[in-house]
Amino acid sequence: MTATASTPAKGRKRSLGTGWSALGFISPAVLVVAALLYAPFLYTVFYSFTDYDGLTSPKWVALDNFKKFLDDPALTTSIRNTLFWVVGTTIVPVAIGLLIALLSFGIKGGTLLRLPFMLPYALSGAGLGVIWGFILQSDGAANDLLRFLHLPGADISFLQQAPYNTIAMIVAMTWQQSGVNALLFLVGLQSIPTPPLEAARIDGASGWRMFRHITWPLLAPLTTVVVGLSLVASLKTFDIVWVTTQGGPGRSSETLAVTMYRDAFVSSDYGYGSAVALVLTLVTGAVTIAYLRFQIRGQEKLR
Amino acid sequence: MKESRLGWLARRGTLAVLGLVWLIPVYLLLVNAIKPTASYDTDKIWVPDKSFGLFTNLREAWTSVGLGESIASTALYSVTGPALAVVIGAMAGYAIVVLRLRAGFWWFLLLFGGTVFPTQMLLIPLFLGYSWADLYDRRFGLVLVYTAVSIPLAAFVMRNFFTGVAYEMFEAARVEGASTWHIFRKIYFPLALPALGAVFILEFAFIWNDLLFGLTLSQSDPVRPVMTALSALSSAYAGSSVPVLLAAGLVMSLPTVAVFLAAQRMFARGLALGQF
Repeated sequence: MTATASTPAKGRKRSLGTGWSALGFISPAVLVVAALLYAPFLYTVFYSFTDYDGLTSPKWVALDNFKKFLDDPALTTSIRNTLFWVVGTTIVPVAIGLLIALLSFGIKGGTLLRLPFMLPYALSGAGLGVIWGFILQSDGAANDLLRFLHLPGADISFLQQAPYNTIAMIVAMTWQQSGVNALLFLVGLQSIPTPPLEAARIDGASGWRMFRHITWPLLAPLTTVVVGLSLVASLKTFDIVWVTTQGGPGRSSETLAVTMYRDAFVSSDYGYGSAVALVLTLVTGAVTIAYLRFQIRGQEKLR
Repeated sequence: MKESRLGWLARRGTLAVLGLVWLIPVYLLLVNAIKPTASYDTDKIWVPDKSFGLFTNLREAWTSVGLGESIASTALYSVTGPALAVVIGAMAGYAIVVLRLRAGFWWFLLLFGGTVFPTQMLLIPLFLGYSWADLYDRRFGLVLVYTAVSIPLAAFVMRNFFTGVAYEMFEAARVEGASTWHIFRKIYFPLALPALGAVFILEFAFIWNDLLFGLTLSQSDPVRPVMTALSALSSAYAGSSVPVLLAAGLVMSLPTVAVFLAAQRMFARGLALGQF
């Protein structure tokens, strides 16, 4: 905004004698972040190439931990579950969120009608796990409801059988996330300029056609953000699984984040745990970049 | 915009019905958290009980996993962590934007880059390092880690905020002979308070709801944060009944629910500008 303020002439840059003082002001932030975020990050990368139990010193094993992945059934299950989480939570809660936003946009009492969807968002992952662990318990409320509605699944022990346990927890996550997605979409709807909407309305567009050809394209940048946020969050799913099933029964509902935690802190296999963490990071990074490139290309095509 | 009567009804009707479905878990939570343990019965999950047992349930949760101390500790973490982060982040923003730190943008990228990788990348070395440095299971250790994870967002928001403040203000104060620290404390920091408040509230909610750091870096009842205590209470039900667990979950959630409802809009903005 103030061009002169943000890009001063090079010559008078530190004419006010602030060079050292600037370093002093930034150093607390840099020191804390370096010591508690960057250093651990680098150590994890190092540990992932070692065999380390925390007692004897780490032994360099090169790529052995990563080779072990191939015949670790727990890891295969965990990757499959993580994929379930990614697909499940990037589609359903985003779609429901969009629906809620569209239905409640610009109507009187919209805030009140949205409230039920907003409440769950304030819950922590652990709180969510407690509530849904109770609802989904064998012969619990979920089964009652399905039986009452004569729907299939009334006799399934949701938390005891794979893949129902993962699917059931995705439903719980949908319950939590839809509201905040609606809120984000609502911000997007409010920022759509009125002229194109008015023009379309005068041309007789309404309902589905209006949405398909006007609102949806205009919302595209925001959809990118909402889906991107869900994508990254879903890859790191931990809290709800840990509290609801602890990854069980057996290791059937583990996600990558849970597998990492279990290998490291239950089995004290820090080398292998670090390797899982590194893979999780690489996958998250790769997916994010691929997704952004895909989105950017898509938007260029629209122009 | 004109809307047909039918359309009006359809929109509200769909929202209301969907909203009621969404409230079912809340209803179940309330009804069963209030029930005395003795009246809890899997066949009567849907029916409220006549007697009020919430406080008895809470008392039990209090004694079995030391929830009281946990709450006090968590309050400490979720207030001091963001408070420190907000001051440190504001200082960093001030250094980059106002004091024109050399290569400031790269410093900023370095700070903000701290949020890019998943928490899982930090846990193992933090646990091992904390054990070594005698920070494991100590309140100070948790304050430290929560401060660290809160700094990048604070620095991000502050950098943006200070960019919008006229530089002439700094020049004028400097000509008057004020020290950079004095200018920060008397002018820039107070100016940034509203923005810092928003960051503080977001970080407060994030730390209050944190499970993973607590799980990894603490173990005793007084030190571990509430969500970790809740997780312990729920594991194999720790011998505690469903109503006790639900009552604990309900009370632990109240602070963030209150904060969230008070600041809905801000959360949406905060979410869009940088996820934790």
